[in-house]
Amino acid sequence: MLQVMTRRRILSLWFVLAALAFASGCAGAFKVHPWDRDLLAEKKMSYSPDPVLMAIDDHIYFSKEGSTGGMGAAGGGCGCN
Amino acid sequence: MIRKLFFAVLLLMGVSPAFAGRAPAVSEGAAAPDFDLTARKGKASLAALHGKVVYVDFWASWCGPCAKSFPWLKAMHEQYAAKGLVIVAINLDKKREKADEFLATHPAPFTVAFDPDGKTAEAYRVAGMPSSYLIDASGKIVLVHAGFDPKDAAALEARIKEECSK
Amino acid sequence: MLLASGLPAAARAGTNGTTQIDASTLFYGEQGRVKVLEPMARITRIYPNGQSISAQLGIDVISGASPSGATPAGVMQTTTSASGTVTTVSPDQIPVTDFQDLRGSLDVDWKKPFGIFTPAVGGHFSREKDYQSVGGNVTLSADLMQKLTTVTVGVGMNHDSTFPVNGISTGLTVPIQTGGGDDSRPGDAIAEGPSESGSTNPSSSPKKVINVLAGVSRVLTRRWMLGAHVTRTLEDGYLTEPYKVLSVLDAAGFTVKQLTEKRPDTRNRTSILGTTVYHLSSDVLYGSYRFYQDDWDLRSNTVDLKWRHELEDNRFFMPHLRYYKQTESSFFRSNLVDGQPLPEFATSDYRLGPLETVTVGGTYGFHFMEYPGEWTIRAEYMAQIGDSHPDEATGVQREFDLYPTQNIGSIVVGYSIAF
Repeated sequence: MLQVMTRRRILSLWFVLAALAFASGCAGAFKVHPWDRDLLAEKKMSYSPDPVLMAIDDHIYFSKEGSTGGMGAAGGGCGCN
Repeated sequence: MIRKLFFAVLLLMGVSPAFAGRAPAVSEGAAAPDFDLTARKGKASLAALHGKVVYVDFWASWCGPCAKSFPWLKAMHEQYAAKGLVIVAINLDKKREKADEFLATHPAPFTVAFDPDGKTAEAYRVAGMPSSYLIDASGKIVLVHAGFDPKDAAALEARIKEECSK
Repeated sequence: MLLASGLPAAARAGTNGTTQIDASTLFYGEQGRVKVLEPMARITRIYPNGQSISAQLGIDVISGASPSGATPAGVMQTTTSASGTVTTVSPDQIPVTDFQDLRGSLDVDWKKPFGIFTPAVGGHFSREKDYQSVGGNVTLSADLMQKLTTVTVGVGMNHDSTFPVNGISTGLTVPIQTGGGDDSRPGDAIAEGPSESGSTNPSSSPKKVINVLAGVSRVLTRRWMLGAHVTRTLEDGYLTEPYKVLSVLDAAGFTVKQLTEKRPDTRNRTSILGTTVYHLSSDVLYGSYRFYQDDWDLRSNTVDLKWRHELEDNRFFMPHLRYYKQTESSFFRSNLVDGQPLPEFATSDYRLGPLETVTVGGTYGFHFMEYPGEWTIRAEYMAQIGDSHPDEATGVQREFDLYPTQNIGSIVVGYSIAF
């Protein structure tokens, strides 16, 4: 039963993602001109601008928690226990 | 399984507007839209430049390829101004200080005009940064170019030379 | 190894390209447990055509003690070693295993834009005393809608091998004792070959990891970016922790014996991450939510928030808050009970048990006088909260706090320069 519940949850998350992508694709209100990219060009406008810090954090949380994954630090494995 | 496929299709539809045709930049052969903007000294107006070969370049301080194009624009100005070429570099920064900072480190002996609201950029339907439009003496657009790559510079220069010799 | 996705970095490369150096050092300490020193540096070269190559080198110096998985003894214990050292262990003290390790890692990445497509290739190598990891990954990004949308897909593969000091045990068996002196403990000795203590298993056990990633990054307005990424991972091979044990308790809560833990030999993980970046007039807000689940029945939710507040003179302060909660895996047992049949798989490793982590911290970024490059100092406090009184605890164990809240502090000093 627990299995079914979580599969439904994953599927509903997929739905949210798809709906978001779809909505944002259609919304004419969200018009960003090429010359409106001034803020987006800044280095800090990236979810994870520092790859070294990301590697350090991934390592900390991988050693202390049971989950992995995110933007995709694809398992630089370690026996860090 | 079917549900997964359904959501994958939905996701694809979300990104598909990417593949749909977008409004292209004002095309070659069309009349160049007029503009009347504040420049560093006085104003810059396309109507006033009728009879000259005009190279309009849309740029901004935060755009990497724009920085690369300025030395080339300077060279074009030095070589072809005497032959009738007028370069109008239209700045699209929201804040004038950013443009001034850029100009302090990138010499621009040609006309620099300011379009912070992007109205002229919209009229020209600028599709990328930078975008350049070569306008002949009769006010017709003869070349549209997006981006700047040193490899394309030679071809651009050839067109400028061609227009100036008419 | 980074199998990363997102908008391609704004190529502000000069006519001759840019070189960027990022270096950070982590000073990490758990109260009474593990201490880590981890310097890491990355050098990236971006060419005028947008091509970029980077190499990242890291060193990890780890020492301290971590829980062995066993429950507290329940009685005061005094041991005197041959060298005369007397150790007293109180009844409720959670057994830990001392260890020291030195780990080195090297990651290399290459990427090059071809029109709207940007392929990337990466390689990873890391090595520590009893563990080695070698891997590679390939990613492909496509910039659509005049770069308002970036779609990324990628696949990575890792081959890891474990070669613990005492060899690999079959699992759920009595742990192999080290043949050395009283002061030797697993992890201290340097493995020089197959164990002599009767283990018939090879002393190196491999593990294959395959990762698949798909992500979309979307610019919604001049100030707002959203991202969604899904990662699926399959692990196959030796997934058990060779040094961890479980205590088998009698009804009174005292240890009858200890057994090594045993985990399945495959693990299927799924992670869904949503990110948002919003630019205020000068500040930037970052938020993310990650849902994770695997076929060991472990599920978790992570929320991460940061607020980068710009100060004058190119300085900034960025407070950070992270909340993580996981539910236990299906074969997590805080202890086994004597007389009951052995389960197929069991672990007491707290990382597979019910767990909450709260992180609070802040980063201060500044330039040092007129010198080039940006410095950052980040200080964070982490608290790990587990189940102090699990249902499985028997007898005297029910009085003990079997999972006292762990206090952890860390400082990261970073430096970045581009020229």
